[in-house]
Amino acid sequence: MKLEDYNPLEDKIYRIMDKQGEILKPEDLPEFNNEQLLYLYRTMLLSRTMDEKQLSYQRQGRMLTYAPNIGQEATQIGSAYALEKKDWLVPAFRELGAWLVHGVPLKNIFLYWYGNEWGSYMPEDVRVLPISVPIASQLQHATGIGLANNINKENNVALTYVGDGGTSEGDFHEALNFAGVFKTPTIFVIQNNQYAISVPRKNQTASKTLAQKAIAYGMPGIQIDGNDIFAVYSATKEAVDRARRGEGPTLIEAITYRLAAHTTSDDPTKYREDAEVEEWKIKDPILRFKKYLEDQGILTQEWDEKVKDEIEKEITSTFEEIEGQSDTEIEDIFKYHYETMPPLLEEQLNEYKNFLREGEV
Amino acid sequence: MKYEFRFPDIGEGIAEGTLLKWLVNIGDIIKEGQSVAEVETDKVTTEIPSPKSGKVVEMKYKEGDIIEVEQVFLIIDPNIDNDSKTQDPPQDDEKLEAVEEETAGVVGEVIASSEEIPPSTEGQKVTSPKEKSKTKVLATPVARKLAKDLSVDITTINGTGPNGRVMKKDIKAAAQQSVSKQKGNVITKPAAPVYKPEEDQDIERVSLSSIRKTISKQMEISKFTIPHVTAMEEIDITELVNLRKKYKEKLSQEDIYLTYLPFIIKALVFTLKKFPIFNASFDSENQELILKHFYHMGIATDTERGLMVPVVRDVDKKSIVSLAKDILDVTTRAKENNVNLQELKGSTFSVTNYGSVGGLFATPVINYPEIAILGLGRIVEKPIVKDDRIVIAKILPVSLTFDHRFIDGAGGSRFLNTLADLLEDPEMLLIKG
Amino acid sequence: MANKINMVQAVNQALMNEMELDKSVIVFGEDTGLEGGVFRATVDLQQKFGVERSFDTPLAESAIVGTGVGMAINGLKPVVEMQFMGFSYPAFNQIISHVSRMRNRSRGRFNLPMVIRAPYGGGIRALEHHSESTEALYAHIPGLKVVIPSTPYDAKGLLIAAIRDPDPVIFLEPKRIYRAFKQEIPEEDYVLPIGKAKIVQEGEDITIITWGAMVRDVQKAVEMVKEKDIHPEIIDLRTISPMDRDTFVESVKKTGRALIVQEAPKSFSVGSEIISVLNEKAFLHLEAPPTRLAGFDTIFPLPRGEQHYMPSPKRIAKTIEEIVNY
Repeated sequence: MKLEDYNPLEDKIYRIMDKQGEILKPEDLPEFNNEQLLYLYRTMLLSRTMDEKQLSYQRQGRMLTYAPNIGQEATQIGSAYALEKKDWLVPAFRELGAWLVHGVPLKNIFLYWYGNEWGSYMPEDVRVLPISVPIASQLQHATGIGLANNINKENNVALTYVGDGGTSEGDFHEALNFAGVFKTPTIFVIQNNQYAISVPRKNQTASKTLAQKAIAYGMPGIQIDGNDIFAVYSATKEAVDRARRGEGPTLIEAITYRLAAHTTSDDPTKYREDAEVEEWKIKDPILRFKKYLEDQGILTQEWDEKVKDEIEKEITSTFEEIEGQSDTEIEDIFKYHYETMPPLLEEQLNEYKNFLREGEV
Repeated sequence: MKYEFRFPDIGEGIAEGTLLKWLVNIGDIIKEGQSVAEVETDKVTTEIPSPKSGKVVEMKYKEGDIIEVEQVFLIIDPNIDNDSKTQDPPQDDEKLEAVEEETAGVVGEVIASSEEIPPSTEGQKVTSPKEKSKTKVLATPVARKLAKDLSVDITTINGTGPNGRVMKKDIKAAAQQSVSKQKGNVITKPAAPVYKPEEDQDIERVSLSSIRKTISKQMEISKFTIPHVTAMEEIDITELVNLRKKYKEKLSQEDIYLTYLPFIIKALVFTLKKFPIFNASFDSENQELILKHFYHMGIATDTERGLMVPVVRDVDKKSIVSLAKDILDVTTRAKENNVNLQELKGSTFSVTNYGSVGGLFATPVINYPEIAILGLGRIVEKPIVKDDRIVIAKILPVSLTFDHRFIDGAGGSRFLNTLADLLEDPEMLLIKG
Repeated sequence: MANKINMVQAVNQALMNEMELDKSVIVFGEDTGLEGGVFRATVDLQQKFGVERSFDTPLAESAIVGTGVGMAINGLKPVVEMQFMGFSYPAFNQIISHVSRMRNRSRGRFNLPMVIRAPYGGGIRALEHHSESTEALYAHIPGLKVVIPSTPYDAKGLLIAAIRDPDPVIFLEPKRIYRAFKQEIPEEDYVLPIGKAKIVQEGEDITIITWGAMVRDVQKAVEMVKEKDIHPEIIDLRTISPMDRDTFVESVKKTGRALIVQEAPKSFSVGSEIISVLNEKAFLHLEAPPTRLAGFDTIFPLPRGEQHYMPSPKRIAKTIEEIVNY
């Protein structure tokens, strides 16, 4: 596909598979073998189940605040799948599918939401940055990683995410501007799930689309159907290739929907209509992909159930591994601020340890 | 004195410039700020203004030459007209080239100067020539203020708090001592040279027990503060001896051990009431005598561990038998080392009965902060003259030591006379008491 | 040839040296590349090492720092410039939220060996925002180091140390003394320890703790009080965070008196922190209350009022006397 064929100012949205699972653009269909297709499907299920279980655990009082990804699996998984192992992933905080694809262990993900910093400690070969809470600030890091890549004369790209809300932050504009000026191999993916907590997309900016903001920064921008895993993959792959060729950054606006709440502390019924949610449920990315796979004879009922069972067990056992055993070591609170702990921190740590030795906390 | 104009670093860290054009001639009178030359650097071409007014005396380069920064390129004689500036141009002039960087900073003026500071002394110990040795003490700000208010030099105080901290009570104690030193007798204790035995002498070292140290300290304080005077007397206690004999047997059946001491104490109480100054203490801070209207008797007791003075309280309110009991109790327990601290404090007058061991007269040491002490010797049979006849009497020798600051000799004698009168007629003593 | 240079030249020398030594050192900021920085601190770097290693950025402080974060994660050592400390505030979010936290957040998986340089402090008769002394804001953030040199020698040694430090360092250069004096310093590279104060001058009567441009004013004041037989000990803090508490605590235990001289506003400042430390560690040695002599708790005045703001040598001398005679 060619990015320039989808000028956002011309209302062109890139889609390969429609909500019924029908292929509209067979020429753009990525050449995946069955193994790959089932991997993608399985990962979407894993993501979905993980979300549902986390929400459930939270309601049971066994997990803390959680930000679910339900409805956005194709955007996350399709895009991350276009990366190679040595490429960088720079998330915001709602990229479960991307983490899973790019090698973040399930245990890490649990640990993070459980409230332990070790969740952000990635294995050596997993190039994923920790979750970035200040909105859009991570985009700058992705630009920087890309710039360093150029200086180091390497051939890796940085894939980063932001929400529709995040595109209003100054850092979004500064990061895109820098990426454009320095032609960094950075792919900016906007997960436009239509809401920034309670603020709908139309109140976020007077621009008709988010993708067109790319034009201001001298890079291509494209709107895609974020629930079509093929389109997501295809567009991201094109952007990745472009970046690797040294042609610079790309902005991808993936149109999707946040089927669940912003986090477990949010009640979306307060600001949106059930009818709207129902409409988007029909466009569920897993639904259409499943239909496609079934129609192609690639996915069987037994396999589906078997895999769901496996996933259930995997998630449960991982959670049980960390539940109740993941309190932070007191030293860890102090040890990682500098390479060498300065005397001041040592003193404070020892004082506190003495206090604990005397009995109570 | 001629002024040497050195080619300045006009900014941007240049090292040299090309002299394009002179704008003055030798002999010209120029004003400060007037451009003297046009110079080209690799950044700018600019005119150089003169920092001094005066006459152009020498132009050291020709047009087209390259001049290094800091090289003298123009010499000006400032001593023309009415300037009565003498001698060397002050060195400060050269230092205060406030060169405004044209572009540097873009805002504001960063003063540039070729003033030099000495190289770093990193790693070297930088000592100041003056080394005052100041005594330092640990003390809280509150304590330091107290010391100031009481005019006490805090550095001279030994602190009794943690790590030698000077506490408020240390300061108060020091203040008291210095007051009594100032207002009382200024006595400086002569420093006694330390005794060291000679080598090869047949000696044995005995360390002092803590009680011995305490006794020794108390003796020093008492003797050194109070001018001791002892008056002695022989008291005829024949009647008292008979009285005691009469009741001793009966009382011992009731487990009451009757000695002479209760009678003596009774007599003392009377005497002390008549001469209250003997039952007093001196408040050196306020320079006042404090007469006590209560009577606690210290009974000097010889114990294995040394002299202890347990106290029988309110002796004026007790009967002979009661006194006998209390005396026995307290002295026995003292010997057994079974008295608590409270029982060793608070006496207003003391008695020391060395006679029970032996000895007639002595010069007992006053139990500071009391003002007098009565020593009792061994009762002896002696021939005396009574009613013109020689009879055998039981004689009790007494030694009364008192504080000569407040009690004169006559006072001491009067005290003893009264005491003797009472003891010589024990029946009257009992009736009165 | 003698290497008698001023502070901004010393900064330049340090950068030259480190870029030569370590190819991963990259210098950038607004106007830092071609022009060499508005104070010429980065002059000739682009000429020597090329535009890839010393370059100009668009006008966006948050991006300068944020991009630096990404570069540091991907193996480089960015030395970025904030044109003036007063313009570092747009980057504050990146500094507090990421620069200071990346190591702890990732439990050491990612660390940021970067330096953020900025000219700081008043006394150059400039517009608003060009005279800031808000080092306390950065010192208050765990995970950062804040360094302020007072001489060319210290500037070079400390900047080299900062560049080599595996942790992020905020390097504040007192611009008032950028060119005010020169000093003979070694031409080759050398490192001064971050986290170690310097006893500039020993004395018995009072400890004066200061840093940056104020060190010279303190020295002037100390000359004034010498006539009154007062001999202060002067300590140049050099590193604000992590502070070298041992040096100034030992000094105050010796002298019993402390004066902190800073141009920053008085309240909630570095001086306030020093006094808290003295209170905890030298309480029983104090013979006078530790005192701050500082800028007022006002916005730094425009040039026509500037002369009142920073403590002058006279004012410092007077305060020294007061404390010594307490």
